[in-house]
Amino acid sequence: MLRPRVIVCLDVKDGRVVKGTQFKNLRDVGDPVELAQRYEQEGADEIVYLDVSASKEARGTLLDVVRRTAETLFIPLTVGGGVRSADDIGPLLRAGADKISVNSAAVRDPELLSVGAERFGSQCVVASIDAARNGDMWRCYTHGGSTPTDLDAVAWAYECAERGAGEILLTSIDQDGARTGYNLPLTAAVSDRVSVPVIASGGAGRAEHLRDAFTEGHASAALVAGILHDGLTTVGELKSRLTAWGIDVRPSGPAEGHER
Amino acid sequence: MKIALFDYGAGNLHSLGKAIEATDANVTITSSWDEALGLDGLVLPGVGAFGHAARALPADITSIRARLLAGYPCLGICLGMQLLFDASEESDGRGIGLIPGRVRLLAASVVPHMGWNDIETAADPVFEGIQELVAYYANSYVCEPEDSASAIAWSTYEGRRFVAGARAANTWGLQFHPEKSSTAGRRIIANFVRRVRELPSERQASRETGR
Repeated sequence: MLRPRVIVCLDVKDGRVVKGTQFKNLRDVGDPVELAQRYEQEGADEIVYLDVSASKEARGTLLDVVRRTAETLFIPLTVGGGVRSADDIGPLLRAGADKISVNSAAVRDPELLSVGAERFGSQCVVASIDAARNGDMWRCYTHGGSTPTDLDAVAWAYECAERGAGEILLTSIDQDGARTGYNLPLTAAVSDRVSVPVIASGGAGRAEHLRDAFTEGHASAALVAGILHDGLTTVGELKSRLTAWGIDVRPSGPAEGHER
Repeated sequence: MKIALFDYGAGNLHSLGKAIEATDANVTITSSWDEALGLDGLVLPGVGAFGHAARALPADITSIRARLLAGYPCLGICLGMQLLFDASEESDGRGIGLIPGRVRLLAASVVPHMGWNDIETAADPVFEGIQELVAYYANSYVCEPEDSASAIAWSTYEGRRFVAGARAANTWGLQFHPEKSSTAGRRIIANFVRRVRELPSERQASRETGR
């Protein structure tokens, strides 16, 4: 049986992990290589690095962080942020990323998704969508949630999958950092529309929120960040609560599949 | 001991290389089949499209097939497993044809099959020491061997059981990604490398007893 995934997201800026709310007020929470490895040991199913650096110089720093991470991390690593063209994808994969997530650049040039999928395979192209409620639609935003577009999130998610994205990373801007739960209607609307896996993102505060993302949001995976970095809970604790509720996540902890 | 890691020119070889090196084997990344088949063993990695990887095969694939049938150790991962078969629905091009059969699109409502799935395993040296295996997948296609006896592992997705692992001679194909499957996955890679280390002495021993 395919297990619902718990994915840990680290916002990376100039080689350090940072955390803010609604993409603002960033503070330093640690070294990405160390944190990623610690989350694997805790039972995280995947790691996402979202590069929030503004400068071009930070690109080399990010590649170096990805390279060092891949030396010690043995679960999938997705890297997003600042991917502007298909030519940016290759170096990140070569450095050790398994999947690349694209957001603003795909809105500007949807061909990027098709070209990326054709060249590297759908399984490594993740379409990242930031959406907020706007009248009677969920509107897509780009550039870290600051720039509104004319795109409806559900329709855009469908187009991304049609063009070859192998996964949708769906962030609710309204819920991001609020810790009051994922945006379930948005998550369900997108999950029900597309035939690729959907990762719910934005709003995780408690284990119940992850459970609801799987059951009511029909998500394949749930993204968690702040509550872990702040030490409010652990991946192991989230997973044992989910297991107790009958959500068959991959068992966490060293007992599973261990040597000896 | 030197393991060749074949480079089709696309995707992430870095973490797979590191996982092999962690077992004390040396890794040689190569795009030359002569080199790939002339070391102690070969790993065919699993990123990219079938057609692209098939184009990296030489015009005459019989020599590769013969070398693998003669017992040269090989581990094919995901696309690398699919390449061991005859052909794929994904794209044109011929595979190595070591394991008779075809590669077909997964019949499921959500594709790719992405994430951690349970794996039933047959008794095989690559799974030694692993109790319950849950491993990471990222695949849209699955292998269908003509002879079910070549299958050594299975998973179920949306109610359908598919082949997760297959074997011929000393070649193993795995549809999931051991290098992305944490502790258990690294154990599988270590088991493969241990088989590579043991095989020359076993071949030597069988030659001696045969004399």
